[in-house]
Amino acid sequence: MNCTRRNFLIGGSTTLFLSGYFPKISFASMQKKNLIIISLRGGMDGLTAVPVIGDKRLKKLRKKLILEDVLNLNSDFGLHPKLEIFHKLWQKNQAAFVHATNIPYTGRSHFDGQNLMETGAHIPYKEKTGWLGRGLLASNIIGKGLAISLPMPLLLRGVPQNNNFFPSPDFVETKLIDQIYNEFKGEHNELIKSTLDTIRQRPLSMQIATDSDDRKKLALEAAKQLKDQSGPRVAVFDLDGFDTHAAQGGVDGAHADELEEVNKIVTILHENLGQAFDNTLILTLTEFGRTIKQNGGYGTEHGYGSAILMAGGLLKKSQVYTDWPGLKKKELFEGRDLNSTIDSRVVYNSAMSICFNQDPEFLRKKVFWGDELPDLSQELFKI
Amino acid sequence: MSLNFYRRVAFGLSPNEKPDKDPLNWAINQLDTIPDLLWPGTIPTEKDLRKKYGEWVYGDREVLRKKFKNDKHAYRKAKDELRIKTGERYFELNEHAIRHFQTKHSKQPVFERFWLFWGNHFAISEKDFLAEFSTGPYQREIIRPNMVKTFEEMVQSVTTSWCMIHHLDNSESFGPNSKKGMEWGETINENHARELLELHTVSPNAGYTQEDVIQLAYIMTGWAHKWDRKNLETGDIWFDQEMHQKGDKVVLGVKYKNDAKRELAKVIHDLATHPICIKFVSTKLCRHFITDEPTDEMINPVIEAWNKSDGNLIEIHKAVITQAYKYNEITHKFHPPEIWLMQLSRMFDLNIPLSFEKMNYTFKLKPNNRQRQLSWILREIGHSPYRAKQPNGWSDLEVDWVSPELLLRRFWFASVELPMLVKSGNRSHGFILSCLKNNFEDHKNMASLIDNFRFGTSDYDLGQKYGVICNLPVVLKI
Repeated sequence: MNCTRRNFLIGGSTTLFLSGYFPKISFASMQKKNLIIISLRGGMDGLTAVPVIGDKRLKKLRKKLILEDVLNLNSDFGLHPKLEIFHKLWQKNQAAFVHATNIPYTGRSHFDGQNLMETGAHIPYKEKTGWLGRGLLASNIIGKGLAISLPMPLLLRGVPQNNNFFPSPDFVETKLIDQIYNEFKGEHNELIKSTLDTIRQRPLSMQIATDSDDRKKLALEAAKQLKDQSGPRVAVFDLDGFDTHAAQGGVDGAHADELEEVNKIVTILHENLGQAFDNTLILTLTEFGRTIKQNGGYGTEHGYGSAILMAGGLLKKSQVYTDWPGLKKKELFEGRDLNSTIDSRVVYNSAMSICFNQDPEFLRKKVFWGDELPDLSQELFKI
Repeated sequence: MSLNFYRRVAFGLSPNEKPDKDPLNWAINQLDTIPDLLWPGTIPTEKDLRKKYGEWVYGDREVLRKKFKNDKHAYRKAKDELRIKTGERYFELNEHAIRHFQTKHSKQPVFERFWLFWGNHFAISEKDFLAEFSTGPYQREIIRPNMVKTFEEMVQSVTTSWCMIHHLDNSESFGPNSKKGMEWGETINENHARELLELHTVSPNAGYTQEDVIQLAYIMTGWAHKWDRKNLETGDIWFDQEMHQKGDKVVLGVKYKNDAKRELAKVIHDLATHPICIKFVSTKLCRHFITDEPTDEMINPVIEAWNKSDGNLIEIHKAVITQAYKYNEITHKFHPPEIWLMQLSRMFDLNIPLSFEKMNYTFKLKPNNRQRQLSWILREIGHSPYRAKQPNGWSDLEVDWVSPELLLRRFWFASVELPMLVKSGNRSHGFILSCLKNNFEDHKNMASLIDNFRFGTSDYDLGQKYGVICNLPVVLKI
């Protein structure tokens, strides 16, 4: 087939301008909707996860990273065999992908890039809060963020009383906190003090001791909490290891191992959210994609355009949504990377508007400084 | 001057240390020489451990995988035996012991704080078996000896060290027009070049482009480990002319003439003395010792000392300490978990690390729980020093270290684990009070918070006391 620019674009307008917005209120807002973000640190290779099988150039440029047994999505795109759950959900219109997308950052530094994927800003380290935290705050959803990681991800910062779940090996007597709580005075102790507040309000189920190396247990607890009508509405998982400069591999190898982790988390969430999965959106987030060409170590270098993996009952349908830029040399970003034709913040802004029952216009002003981010809710999600 | 200065620039005062009459001089006088490593147990050399690394990867990859290719169970068993035989499960534990013994007993604790700083600035993140065999010796043999030299010399040593080259894949970087690059159709790997710019020297503030990264990667091609069948990737670092990109290169507007292995030293000189590099690293130093968001007023004297001394690290360190002293009473700094643990160990004379006799390893059985304890604690409090997730090392910002779970783990350590690390002669209430008095102006208030348990000396009672004390705002931060 002939993979040229733009001939994949689904949903009409190639310029992606604002489509009409009808505020969703009353009944819709009674049912809790969950937004789950899985951060993929290191630069997830969109072309490994969702290879463009319709373009022979990919195989030529990646002789040693060839994927066998690709799962079929449509005539143009396949799916990495380790992403089984996405394939299963695809059949039920509960998995979809946005391709050739990235945050508007072309600098190729992990650390600047990760900072920007979380803050949603243009200048690294300028903002101290994350787009998700600001979105929650703007929607007046307080104390409903849950991180499945030991530190509090920047992505969630900006709204008070977020929780995280990554338990220590023994039970901790939280009553010790009562004895010292009043010692935390002054502005410079506020962050710790508010964190102690959060600990004191934690549900009993979070006061357990477990092995936090066991991602399965963590995802299970997240599912349990998200299922609870009064529980968190947002969860953030954090995975790293996508920076595969060497031995990236194809079906097996470093990148495949990481994709398998994503698959595991989504599988557990799907199995355990039950009915709540219908009211859930799961999206991935990464700092950049990787070069088309393999490098000197059978890996790939830092690139630009990547893909967003999506799952959940709030998706409109199974689709690879893209404004495909093509893989010819002149179509690549700086002649080496898959281009990004969709600002990924468009997808995140639209997802927040669905899950937080907010006007996307309002959100992009409050969260993304009024940056031009057209609403894709109608194209991607169930309204 | 508040007693917290001893924790700002060091690890607090142990029960047998007393505050100095002149704390600034006390601190500054610790920076001229490199203190000996005090650990009485084994301190293996980088070369020895690299050999062990080689035996491990060679033994596994080249021998066991072939030998047991049809028997998964037997393969696993043989691999576990190889782990024990090569010390794969042991050396990192020993490295943590060496490190914590040093910060606990060093007569130059201020020097040791800088040692931790530089090890993290030039971080080796979790990759392959570096934490097991290589990162510790790198801290001792590459970082430490350079702390009395210039920053430029430090960058030179780091950049051509086996550990960093393996960490950032430079052995896999081929000049596309080099002999081997042409023969094998290979090209560059930008990883090391990018981090040399971004993390180690000029930072993105310098505004370098993708082309600068590529050109620097060209200059760096050829700096690789010497490969052979037996050692695989663990051979010595050398300059392989046959991998080196021919021709002139241009980085940040400066032209480097085709000059083989000499190109690297020239470009490092320019990067390490670049004004933006000096500002970037000075800011990081001030962030570590003064406060998360240091002002230009705090940083400028460090930059001046840098310029005046041509990047002499002794002078730079002294300037940082002088600034830390100057701003001690009006700034706050939160301590990440490992430094907090080191301070508790020094102030309360805890049994950390385990005695060197008990750390002895026979290469016959896997390390026991006691030998694994310190490394396990470090991991559980979220700060295993040689396993940073990414090459930018561990964060120095409070916001990155405060979350419900991270705080809970400190409560867990102080109330559950710490009592088992109190020496038998130190279980009395009076001992805790004297340590508090030695280190905190606020000791009376602190004592009042644990007064309920003053008669108790059981593990539970100690847990209640230390659980409170160790998590007070004046202990978590200064």
